[in-house]
Amino acid sequence: MDGICLELTGQLGTSQPGEAEVERSLIRRAQRGDRAAFDALVRRYDQEVLRMALKIVRSSDEAQDLYQEVFLKVYRSIGQFRLESRFSTWLYRVVMNVCYDHLRRQRTRGEVQATENEDGQPDFAQTLTEDRPISNPDRALTAKEISGRLQAALTRLTPRERMVFELKHCQGLKLRAIGEMCGTSEEAAKNSLFRALQKLRVDLRDLA
Amino acid sequence: MNCKEFENASALYLYDELRGSERAEFEAHLAACAACRARLEESQRLHRLLTDCPRPEPTPDLLARCRQTLDEALDHEELGWRSLLRGWMWSFGAAPATRAAAALTLIVFGFGLGWTLRPRAAALPVAGGEPTQAGFNPSDLSNLHIRSISQVTPDPQSGGVRITLDAERRVTLEGSLDDPRIRQVLVDTMKGYDNPGIRRDTLDALRMQTDDPSVRGALMYAMARDPNAGVRLEALKTVQHMECGADTHQGLLNVVEHDSNAGVRAAAIDALVQHLQQEGMDDAVLAAFERLATSDRDPVVRMRCLTAVRRLQGNG
Repeated sequence: MDGICLELTGQLGTSQPGEAEVERSLIRRAQRGDRAAFDALVRRYDQEVLRMALKIVRSSDEAQDLYQEVFLKVYRSIGQFRLESRFSTWLYRVVMNVCYDHLRRQRTRGEVQATENEDGQPDFAQTLTEDRPISNPDRALTAKEISGRLQAALTRLTPRERMVFELKHCQGLKLRAIGEMCGTSEEAAKNSLFRALQKLRVDLRDLA
Repeated sequence: MNCKEFENASALYLYDELRGSERAEFEAHLAACAACRARLEESQRLHRLLTDCPRPEPTPDLLARCRQTLDEALDHEELGWRSLLRGWMWSFGAAPATRAAAALTLIVFGFGLGWTLRPRAAALPVAGGEPTQAGFNPSDLSNLHIRSISQVTPDPQSGGVRITLDAERRVTLEGSLDDPRIRQVLVDTMKGYDNPGIRRDTLDALRMQTDDPSVRGALMYAMARDPNAGVRLEALKTVQHMECGADTHQGLLNVVEHDSNAGVRAAAIDALVQHLQQEGMDDAVLAAFERLATSDRDPVVRMRCLTAVRRLQGNG
C-alpha cells in the first residue's frame, strides 16, 4: 500500500510542509495517549468523513454511527500507524472498510436505505445546500425525483460495486488506488465499475 | 479499436483512465464511427446526471451531534482497560518487535500468574461495606470499562494500596505495591488520568516504590509533564529523595530550564543543589545556573540560581 497516494478532499490543510509537520506531531502525541491531540486530528478530517458516510448511507443517524465507528477504530489503532505513510490514506482505508462492512450488513439484512425528513418520511434531498437546484421550486421536484431514483438505483448495486462507484465517481480516485484499497486488482475494480455503471444506466435510462 | 472495445473503453474515457495509446485509438474510432459517437453521448448524459445529482452535505447540527457523541464515546474509551493497556504497551516504545515482546510478556504474565488481589488485601480492611472484588483475574479487568477513578489510598504501613473506580459497577482493587500489576495501574493513572487530585493521591502511593524502574519513570514523567503544577511539585519532591542518577540530574535540570511555573523551577534548583552537595560538582548544572542567574524571566529564580552558584562554588 505504500505506493498509492490518496488524500481525503475537503478541509485537509496538510498540503503545506509546515502543516504536515504539525499533523505528524499531533499523531505522535495521539499515539502517546494525548486526547487533545487526537481531538485535533479528528477536527481536521471529520467533516469529510461525515460527508462520505452520508454518501454511502443517506440517513443522518446511520452516518452518525459510521462516523463514530470510524474514529473509534482510529483511536484504538492509531498506535499501529506508521508515520512514513500518509495519515489521510490510512484514515481513508478505515472509512472504506467501515462503510463496506456497513453495506454488507445492510444487504444481508435486506434493508433499503432512505434519508428521512423531519417527519421521519424518506427524503433524498433534505441535506442540499442553497446553491443546489432545490433552491428553485421548479427544479426542486426534478432534483428530488432524480435523487430518489439515483438512491434507489445505488441500493441495487452490490457493496463492492457501490464502493468502487463512490470512490471513482464521487472521490475521483484512480482505479489502481481503488483496487489496492479494496484489496483487489485494478482490473477487478474496473469490472466492478463497469457493472455498476451498467446497472445505473438501465435504472436511469429514462432520465439520462 | 472496434465498436465493442470502444463501448468498454467509454467509461474509462469519461473518467480519464485511458492511457496514451488507448486514448489515441479511442479518439480515432470516435472520429470515424457515428454510432459510437451517439453511444458516447448517451454515456456522457448519464455521467452528467450522476455528477449533477444532488449529493448530501452534512449540516452543522449533524456535525455537532457527531462530535458530541464521539466525545462521549472517547471519554468512555479513554478510561477502559484497553487504554491503560495501550499506555502500558506504548511505554515499551514504538518498535514493533519491542511491543510484540511486551504483548507476549503480558500474555505470559496474565496466564502464568492468574493473579487475585484478595489474598494480598488481608491487611487492608474494606471501609463502609464497600464491595471488594475477590478473585479478580485479567479477563475481568479487560471488561471493566473504567469511567472514573474516585480514590487511590496508599497504606504506608502495610505497603498496600486501595484503588476505587467506577466501571460498569464500582469496584475496589486491593493489593500490595509489590504486585507489578497494581503498580502498572498506578503508573498508567499517573500518566494518563485527567483528575489532578487522583494523580496526586497516586503519587503518594507510588513514592513508596521508587526503586521500581516503571515507578521511577512515572515520577520523572509527572515531574516534567504533568499539566498541574502542584502535582509536578510533589513529583519533584519525591524525585529529590530518590537515589541519584544521571537521569534524575537531567530531569531536574530540564525542570529548572523549562518548567512554566517559577515555584517549581525554584524547587528544582534546591533539589539539584542538594544532590550536587552530596555527590560533587556537575559542570553542566553549574553552567545552567550561571546562565539562568541572569536570564530567567522570574527574579526569584534568578536570585535562587545566583545563591546556588555561590553555594556550589563555595563547596567546590
